[in-house]
Amino acid sequence: MKLYRPATIAVGVLFVLIGGLTRLATPDQVFEEQNMEISKGTIGQPLQFGQDASLTIVRMQLAKSVLDANSSTDEKPIETNGVFVALEWESTAGAGKPDRPDPTLTSDGDAVFTPVGLTYSGIEFGAAGFTNAGAIVFEVDPAQLEGLTLDVQPSQLWNVLNRKVSVDLGIPGAASAQMLLDTAVDQYVLPERDVRVAS
Amino acid sequence: MESLDDVIDDLIADRVIRRHRRTWLIVIGAVVVIALLVLVTGGWKEKTGRAVPTLVATVDAPATVSAGRWEYSFSKAEIIREPKTEYSAAKAELRVYFDLRNIDTEEKESDSLAGNLVRLVPGGGQDLIESNGGTCRGEIGWVMVYGLPAESCFTKFEIAPDFSADQIEVGILGEQYISDNGLLGANEEPYWHLPEATAVVRLKPSVVVKDEEK
Repeated sequence: MKLYRPATIAVGVLFVLIGGLTRLATPDQVFEEQNMEISKGTIGQPLQFGQDASLTIVRMQLAKSVLDANSSTDEKPIETNGVFVALEWESTAGAGKPDRPDPTLTSDGDAVFTPVGLTYSGIEFGAAGFTNAGAIVFEVDPAQLEGLTLDVQPSQLWNVLNRKVSVDLGIPGAASAQMLLDTAVDQYVLPERDVRVAS
Repeated sequence: MESLDDVIDDLIADRVIRRHRRTWLIVIGAVVVIALLVLVTGGWKEKTGRAVPTLVATVDAPATVSAGRWEYSFSKAEIIREPKTEYSAAKAELRVYFDLRNIDTEEKESDSLAGNLVRLVPGGGQDLIESNGGTCRGEIGWVMVYGLPAESCFTKFEIAPDFSADQIEVGILGEQYISDNGLLGANEEPYWHLPEATAVVRLKPSVVVKDEEK
């Protein structure tokens, strides 16, 4: 007895072909991350992060060396062959607990910088109704200062609609980068976290 | 009601199964015995020995290895002994010093050296020992920036307090910039993963005895 008639086999082959064709027909992805809205802004602007949290970059400072807030008196500041970019921030959590922020700096030359691993270098959100303030430090190649942008991505487990922060740090060209390098301080001391009631 | 045909069919089936039962038992037994034999004699795979180059590093002539997104330049190794005191047992650690540079031309991303990329090769078929990553500028897990010059770093291996060796071997693994297989629906963007052996560096460690006072 024949197990399959030729027509059955033909239908099976057809299904496989249709599967391949639908895959070819899917449109090219327009956005890199389709589930991510972007809050774009500049220094000093409060930007929405996640559902109802807000993040403001208050100040940028370039430095040749950096020291942690909890350093003892005999600890030497950490130096660099590049330059440290310190960003001071203020964050306010909304009613819900925001996702853990994952900050990176991206330059026009597509270099990606991640924060240095010091205790007080990082962005965090406090309890609802309170504003946290602190700083985050990145070690950066001085040749890659142009177009530096801070991206704060919420790290999420489920692929749901979310909102990330993208702050243009305002370094449009080589001249402004050089000016920032010239005004870099010798030493930047990371501040301790400051918590106050949100206003 | 069961018909006579069914009964006869059952009878024949029973006979057929029973007729070959001994053969089947012998075949299964033989397979088990062969599997045990292969297992005892050291597995199916032929041991080919080391397939990566072995380099010799000294302080005057450092060995340079490019593996994945890191470029190492090994110079020296130290066995640091901490003698037994009234309050603590004797301790020892093995430090391997190298200059480290980020050569991640694919993503140009800053990262810290992972501990599983530099491993101690104890030899004699023993398992490799993972390091604790890169300690640069006095900070463990220091983030190295793409585009900046090399920095001098060291990594630490856990060793027994009485460990001593004329020469040690350190295995360098390099990650590969490849993507997962998209056939099963995975994202086809390449990323750094799947470290594979790249080189072995041979160093002569010097012994340093840590002073209790310092």
